[in-house]
Amino acid sequence: MPLLSCENLTKSFSGKVAVKSLSFSMMSGESVALIGPNGAGKSTALSMLTGLLRPDHGCAVIDGYNAAENPKEIRKRIGVLFQEYTLDEHMSAKRTLELHAALYGVRRREVPSLVSEALQWSELEAVKHQKVGTLSGGMKRRLEIARAALHKPSLLILDEPTLGLDPKSRIDLWDRIETLKMKGTAVLLTTHILREAESCERIGILSEGEIIAFGTKNSILAEYSKHPNESFQDVFLYLTRQNDSDEIKTRFPKLIRTKSA
Amino acid sequence: MIRGSAFFAPVDGATIHVVRILWMREVLVFLSDRSQLLGALSRTFLWLIILGFGLGATLREIEGYTYSQYILPGVMVLNILFASLQSAFGIIADRKFGIFRQVMVSPTSSLTLTLGKLSGAATVSLIHGAVPLLFAPIIGISFPLENLLLILPVMFLLSFGITGIGLIIAVRVRGFLSFGAISNGLIQPLYFLSGAIFPLKGIVGGIGFLDIPGTLRDELRNHGVYAISGGWIVELPYWLEVIVKANPISYFLDILRQLILNFSQLNQEVAVYCCLFAPCLGWICASIALGVVRRG
Repeated sequence: MPLLSCENLTKSFSGKVAVKSLSFSMMSGESVALIGPNGAGKSTALSMLTGLLRPDHGCAVIDGYNAAENPKEIRKRIGVLFQEYTLDEHMSAKRTLELHAALYGVRRREVPSLVSEALQWSELEAVKHQKVGTLSGGMKRRLEIARAALHKPSLLILDEPTLGLDPKSRIDLWDRIETLKMKGTAVLLTTHILREAESCERIGILSEGEIIAFGTKNSILAEYSKHPNESFQDVFLYLTRQNDSDEIKTRFPKLIRTKSA
Repeated sequence: MIRGSAFFAPVDGATIHVVRILWMREVLVFLSDRSQLLGALSRTFLWLIILGFGLGATLREIEGYTYSQYILPGVMVLNILFASLQSAFGIIADRKFGIFRQVMVSPTSSLTLTLGKLSGAATVSLIHGAVPLLFAPIIGISFPLENLLLILPVMFLLSFGITGIGLIIAVRVRGFLSFGAISNGLIQPLYFLSGAIFPLKGIVGGIGFLDIPGTLRDELRNHGVYAISGGWIVELPYWLEVIVKANPISYFLDILRQLILNFSQLNQEVAVYCCLFAPCLGWICASIALGVVRRG
């Protein structure tokens, strides 16, 4: 039985379709990346899965619970990382984790060990009493992921987890996400960095609110590449270029030549 | 629609723990940003000291109290109104940038979120409201300390109610910039039409009463004597009196004035009902507001 199953999720804002008939599923412990250009509907899709947005049509089932009918059960089973920082700058790292534990109903006797484990995982033990506002961007992001994973969710939903981080912090953070994946936590993420997406087991390419390709990196390459030397980036740009082909031609003249060859 | 469970869900130990944590979060944010108190201090100084002594020089006495003494409970209410709406409007930033988005995707019940948010915000507003009380000895007000056991809960209930009402307004507006317009459009009428700065009836501008010994003054007040010579009798236009009496804030103010100055002008029974009704209304408003936020 899949851990997450979406069927025909659709959401419109003021008549404009943001997500159209989104359907995919993922198994426990699996990692799936949703990629696509800005405005493709990635964040809207995640918001529907986290219960922050109600879909106009369709449903999402996580661990056997329908997101619309059992939001509380769904919320217990997921950990969420938003694109923007959602930290209280005035609170310490330790208190931030303790607050999260309380919100997720973690038993009080388990809180100290889980908080300590999260601080160690995120390497924030030394600054645990410092106000979050004084931490670097990388530290804040590590804290947010540690917080999202604190209550041991079956599914981690990460909306552009490495956004705004320098290369070192990005690699460091990605390594940590890998450790969570190895522990069996399923990870659903959105990203603009194709290398990050490529390291996930399956990839969904979104364009204008629709999934236009879904599968492993190799299966997508096999299905959509027109040339044996085409990289995943080439295929991605090819699939998502519909409305901005002029821009792609300008910015990647070589790529377009390769495609037309 | 509010789900019944939001109102009637059992309050267990875990719920109380989360409420305590959310309450603590609001208080911690306030303590970390003490500049918030600046508004409360400056309002108190402007109204109580500048306006109080400035207008007090002309009005002399209002029913045997200096103007500063008379408006002190009103300044407390004003601070509460501002702080409560400010806390409520904080949800706009919290939704966009703050921890509230994280809170909203947690399995915590709406009941718990409402209790935590309201009680924390009400505590912060209470602190703002208590600032003018620090000036009480300076302007010659003394009241039995045990009255604080009633003053503080009344302030808390008012804060609770206004924060809840503020939340339902806050979730409907687009940005924090609306705070100025809404707070002025809401707070000022509520404040000016509460009898905070002018009495409903009585003798104003009398002379001599304040010059007699305090013990004799209290004795005379117990006999209903508030002035001994001069002054004029206040007679508000009927429509204004009706509005003041229809304004629930007037009753909170009146009950505070009774506890602080031993002086009341409105029906105290109605005041007690207001104290009970306002938090209920705030609770309903906050539940709806947080439900709206949660459902997106």
